[in-house]
Amino acid sequence: MPGQKTAVLFAWLLLLPAVLYVAAIVAYPLVDTFYLSFTDASLRKTTNWIGWANYEKIFDAEFATIIIRTFVWTFLSVSLKMIIGTSGALLLNAALPGRAVFRILTMPPWIVPMAIGIFMWGWMYNGQFGMISGLLQRFGLSDGPVAFLAYGSSAFWATIVTDVWIGVPMVTMYMLAAIQAVPQDLNEAAWVDGASRFYRLRRITLPMIFPAAITMSMISLISTFNSFDIIWILTQGGPSGATTTMIIDTYSTAIGSKKFGEGAARAVIICLFLSAFAILYFRAVTKLSNRMAT
Amino acid sequence: MTKTILRTGAAVAALTAALPAAAEEITMIVCGDTMDPIHEKYIGEWEAANEGWTVAPEVVGWGQCQDKVTTLAVAGTPVALAYVGSRTLKEFAEFGLIEPIPMSDEEKASYYPNVVGTVTYQGEQWGIPVAFSTKALYWNKDLFEEAGLDPETPPATWEEVIADAKAVTENTDAAGFGLVAKTFDNTMHQFLHWVYTNNGKVIDDDGNIVLNSPENLAALEAYKTLVPYSEEGPTAYEQNEVRAIFLDGGVSMIHASIGAVSRLADTDINWGVANLPLGPEAQGPGTLLITDSLAVFSGTGVEEQAISLAKFLTAPAAQEEYDLNAGLTPLRPSPTIDALVAEKPYWAPYIEGIEYGGPEPLFTDYRAFQNIMIEMVQSVVTGKAEPADALAKADAELKELE
Repeated sequence: MPGQKTAVLFAWLLLLPAVLYVAAIVAYPLVDTFYLSFTDASLRKTTNWIGWANYEKIFDAEFATIIIRTFVWTFLSVSLKMIIGTSGALLLNAALPGRAVFRILTMPPWIVPMAIGIFMWGWMYNGQFGMISGLLQRFGLSDGPVAFLAYGSSAFWATIVTDVWIGVPMVTMYMLAAIQAVPQDLNEAAWVDGASRFYRLRRITLPMIFPAAITMSMISLISTFNSFDIIWILTQGGPSGATTTMIIDTYSTAIGSKKFGEGAARAVIICLFLSAFAILYFRAVTKLSNRMAT
Repeated sequence: MTKTILRTGAAVAALTAALPAAAEEITMIVCGDTMDPIHEKYIGEWEAANEGWTVAPEVVGWGQCQDKVTTLAVAGTPVALAYVGSRTLKEFAEFGLIEPIPMSDEEKASYYPNVVGTVTYQGEQWGIPVAFSTKALYWNKDLFEEAGLDPETPPATWEEVIADAKAVTENTDAAGFGLVAKTFDNTMHQFLHWVYTNNGKVIDDDGNIVLNSPENLAALEAYKTLVPYSEEGPTAYEQNEVRAIFLDGGVSMIHASIGAVSRLADTDINWGVANLPLGPEAQGPGTLLITDSLAVFSGTGVEEQAISLAKFLTAPAAQEEYDLNAGLTPLRPSPTIDALVAEKPYWAPYIEGIEYGGPEPLFTDYRAFQNIMIEMVQSVVTGKAEPADALAKADAELKELE
């Protein structure tokens, strides 16, 4: 049918700008990165196809440690963001005096340019001039300066705390919107039936915002897994690699050491993990949508 | 119609001929915040002496400068002339991205000793030094006095610096020595001060890795010995952060560049500056010699003119004017520099250390070299490894790297 063909062609014509845009901005770099990961690309003017050599080279005990560290870092950070963000949203939803002011006060970590926020935290973690070390000493909790970024474990937690500080406002706002979407009549009916505040939270609010929490967790997981600025500005992956996550390791290899092929192989591994997260996310969303529909 | 086409063609040809050819522009990347007025002046002079040629400098912040220069070169659109850290020259040279810039014996002899070595790889010069940095020891005289030490006598040896640091730590509220061990390039630089004040080397004259030597082991052991007498958590601090602690009176001694003088002028600290203390194997005052260079990139078609411009900008008179204006360690001796040292004696240690100083070792993968050295220092400072083991491990990794 010529008319139908024309309609299909017209539809493709309308889609063409978007297709071209995605091809240029997403598909081409992705394919090129996959290709690079099988080459010895570096500053050298020629590149050679070396098959799986880059992948064989990177899969050692050190890389395994980096993968595990990345997962632990991401899990802790996302968990804290979700717990604090959801708790904050519940509080902001409560009928408290000055609620609007508190809502505004949650925003600064999101509004302040990220690099400035990170430098501010770096300054607070400083043992000699930092506020945290100063307060600890003033209250007699420490005998002397405490340099939080000097030791592996404290630096690891310091980067998580900073990431949580930056990430919590988005979670709070998103979860607040989800809480406000919970039908008020459900709560009122339960209240009339004598349900306590905690019972209503447990049996009405939390189940109702669960799909939003899953969505937010997955979005947060993907962005946290790729979190670069915080660690790079605070510790550059140190001390002794204690805060080196996969994205830091990839940057150091590809940009620092200019081993573009090896760096691309590491980026491909990250891409595979993130793809797995995305698949999980879509499956979870589909499942939840189906459940909500029934 | 034919006439019109011919006329249009002739007009286009005439216009094209009238326009300056693209090859007559020298693109240049300068790292920093602003164009230095001295360089601006000399670029103007070079343009006046080379009719038809213009220089198009672009100022790029330090954070992005090296990456931009590298990216342009790798992408096949190199800049003609760029300001680069000399440590990157080997990498660029090995991959055929830059041109050698041969120096005559006379030119080489005009520099302080060892300076030309910072831009030399396989017997050829790959850049022209344009900025120079050396280090000296600063000490806080008031803290020395409070600790019962002679405030006018700085430590001259490692043994003395350790003893003085211990005395300050035990008898004052300040730490004895500002130790640098953060995951940052100058952790390696600071360790190399100890290497070069004990006649140590990382690469010998034949290009062999010789990190695992008794001289370097002594340096790493000295570094470790200082940990209890340094600020809490040295792995959290890089050079400038340690300098800030010194300026605040929190440590009594640091290794720092001449830039500390102007900052100290804004404080009440009673300070002195001396040669870096020497290790047991030292043959004379030493320091790490860091230079930045002007490098000429290949494939621009204007290499010859770029070399001419680089040589013009770094000729003795122009360079001296630039060094003095920017407050950098001078690259060449001269009567003016002698007068400067006589007038401002705090310059003396920065010059005296050059003779036995050493360069940033040139590695193809400089970043990997730096990371290996930082890991070595951090593992010792945090007590994760003994100096001998850490040194042997780093030595093996460097050999594998090369």
